Amino acid sequence: MDKRVANTIALAVLWVAAGITVFVLFAIIGYVFVNGIGVISPRFIFTWPHGVAAVGGIWPTIVSSVYVTTLAMLIVTPIAILAAVYLAEYAVQGRLVSTIRFAADSLASVPSIVMGLFGLALFVEAAGFGFSMLSAALALSFLMLPIVMRTTEEAIRAVPRFIRWGSYGLGATKWQTVSKIVLPAATPRIVTGIVLAAGRAVGETAVVIYTMGQAINLPRTPLDSGRPMTVHLYLLAMEGINLRAAYGTALLLMVMILFFNLGARWISRRYRKV
Amino acid sequence: MAEHTGAPEPADELRLVTRATYLRELTLKNLFLLCAFVAVLGVLLIFVFVGVRGWPAFTEIGVREFLFGRVWSPSTEQFGILPLIWGTILVMAGALALGTPLAVATAVFLSEIATPRVRSIVRPAVELLAGIPSVIYGFFGLVMLRPIIAEWSGGLGFGAFTAWIILAIMIVPTIATLSQDALESVPDGIREASYAMGATTWQTIYKVLLPAAKIGIFDAVILGMGRAIGETMAVLMVVGNAPVFPKDVFSPLSTLTTQIVMDMPYAVGLHRTALFGMAIILFVVSMSLVAVVRLLSRLGEER
Amino acid sequence: MMRRPILLVVLLAAVLLSACTNTPGRSDQVVVTGSTTILPIAEVSAEMFHRLRPDVRVLVSGVGSSAGIESVSTGSSDIGTSSRDLKSEEGGLGLVDTPIAYDAIAVIVNQSNPVESLTKAQIKAIFQGKIRDWSQVGGRGGSIQLVNRDEASGTREAFSKIVMDKEPFDPTAAVLPGTGQVRAVVAQSPGAVGYISYGFVNRSVKAIAVEGVRPSEKTVFSGAYPIQRTLHFFTKGPAAGLARSYIDFVLSDSVQKTIVGEAGFLPVSERSR
Repeated sequence: MDKRVANTIALAVLWVAAGITVFVLFAIIGYVFVNGIGVISPRFIFTWPHGVAAVGGIWPTIVSSVYVTTLAMLIVTPIAILAAVYLAEYAVQGRLVSTIRFAADSLASVPSIVMGLFGLALFVEAAGFGFSMLSAALALSFLMLPIVMRTTEEAIRAVPRFIRWGSYGLGATKWQTVSKIVLPAATPRIVTGIVLAAGRAVGETAVVIYTMGQAINLPRTPLDSGRPMTVHLYLLAMEGINLRAAYGTALLLMVMILFFNLGARWISRRYRKV
Repeated sequence: MAEHTGAPEPADELRLVTRATYLRELTLKNLFLLCAFVAVLGVLLIFVFVGVRGWPAFTEIGVREFLFGRVWSPSTEQFGILPLIWGTILVMAGALALGTPLAVATAVFLSEIATPRVRSIVRPAVELLAGIPSVIYGFFGLVMLRPIIAEWSGGLGFGAFTAWIILAIMIVPTIATLSQDALESVPDGIREASYAMGATTWQTIYKVLLPAAKIGIFDAVILGMGRAIGETMAVLMVVGNAPVFPKDVFSPLSTLTTQIVMDMPYAVGLHRTALFGMAIILFVVSMSLVAVVRLLSRLGEER
Repeated sequence: MMRRPILLVVLLAAVLLSACTNTPGRSDQVVVTGSTTILPIAEVSAEMFHRLRPDVRVLVSGVGSSAGIESVSTGSSDIGTSSRDLKSEEGGLGLVDTPIAYDAIAVIVNQSNPVESLTKAQIKAIFQGKIRDWSQVGGRGGSIQLVNRDEASGTREAFSKIVMDKEPFDPTAAVLPGTGQVRAVVAQSPGAVGYISYGFVNRSVKAIAVEGVRPSEKTVFSGAYPIQRTLHFFTKGPAAGLARSYIDFVLSDSVQKTIVGEAGFLPVSERSR
């Protein structure tokens, strides 16, 4: 076959492939949007589900989702940032660092059901926290740790070296340099990473089912249980009785995650010049 | 500029910081090391807690009966997970077969063909796909895809085929973004040399770039494989959950992950132990895949 | 200022108490877990109960009858709901039964399926996988698509006991964890057959007659319809305290004459056995 013809065909195929990918994204978002938009109303967002078919709203699930994600972020952020500081600033390539990276990669690829069972065994049963926001947040933290560690490390490494040299040249210690110069410079990228990880946490289902329980509840303390939006959607879909509420939940969930994703993107774009 | 009049002691000259500062810096460094070690701690804890609960599955049920038994029927004390292992492999293989070409093609498109403007639409689209939670994919598969496949195949619409489609879509972002990174890290000089010899874009991609990015793309596929093996919710909602060897791709089947979720609410005793045993297998497999990727990367670097 | 320290101690105690875990026996909540079939009744009555007693929270979750029985016997919940009777090995757990409604299980097929009636033996053979084609039971030719419930389901357990005589189901059947899903799938696939609580049968599916008896309120009341069961609230020992109040409320007319009927079940009081 003439090489130009082959080229044209191949490029067309590649265009189609990319088109399929984009199309699928819009198809899924569009499908959820079209079916769910009619369900969204202030009543849906702010009232409780009740009745035989869970009609009404999904307020406690929204609160549960936000609560557990926030709690997980609070737990994981300091540890992940300090860990990334170690890897980026202090660590010397060697067995120790290799092991840490291997462990982080492993944590990132743990199947969520395994993480859920782990959370059940350790936090719910062994540590005695029971089905609670705390158990779920701790399990989620392990899931998010590698993500935030990686993005923070990249953010720190992206800070130009001459900034550090200037700091050292002025007589600052390593910690002073890191805390006062490097971290602030890397903050936008770090925040982006945290927001992305939060988006991932909001979308988790298997991990939270086994650590938070399923009862609909408005959590007040971290030891309260609840039902997040993802689990609510799963139960509604599987029960099959109230698909309207399922679509509404799916749409709100998607909006929340899009908000996190686009928010992260906006942050990184706004501070790109840094 | 005043000059030193006295001769300071050598020890004083060498000391750049006070002892207090030195200790503080050392403490901080170790604190950070501890934080980094949390990742290792996590992995160890998972091994311990899941392992302790699941290990008896291998000893009490017997490795051969557990891993190679063909019947999963807890109510009759039969815990053979071979149909589930087969289900996991079948679902994963099909998803990879469908998803990899699409993902790599998208990656090639993004890296070589798209103008910056088009890239600014497509790449975010791919990344957004990665952010959609699996329960929404499963929901989409359940209410949108399953009825279509049911009409088309005459069955119920639950089965490997439905799972393949949903799972393929889910792993495309993973494979595509990593493959794009791999392609973009191939030096431009290689491209220019190829074009200079008169190769078309496609020839350059096919004969030069893809082989050059081979390892990175392979890494991406392996990570996609890991995702496909470990995916739970989306597969659960479309696969039919019959713990048997399916007679065709439109018949209900079950995977390791979905069986755990189905049985966990009521499993007790040896049944529950078996589920934790399955979790151990999943964990070991996913860690092995990570190890393979790291090994390949290291080999790639040494070249 | 002698009053200040006391106030502080009281406040501190209140804060500490409010941080207690979700354990049953807590003086302001009732933990109810179990059957997904009973879940709607439990949830709605919990809501109504909360309006009567705003100080009490009734936490309801549907995890399956077996899980409900287990959790009430271990003390993780105050009330275990179940849509099946206790198994013989569960007899020694010290659980006290309060029936709260009766239910019939309907066998459903697609609206386009011409089959109108089956014997119990035929239904059993179908769900065992022994009869595989509709033409074998008087229908149009076509393979029978089995839809089963998950093993945690009380509906499945009851079906297994009453129809299957506890013999195994066909393992290649699709296993769906929800009544609505079973109904939706059967409604859409011409060859499908499943079973759901009679209360959830609607116009999208056809409930066939069993041994010549169509399920209806009359035939369930009279006992003519063969596939029926009791819905239980189990407590460890006789129900007491808040759990007792909640159960009494569920047995009262405000629930029995409204919600139970709306959910398609039969109230306890009207049954004459």
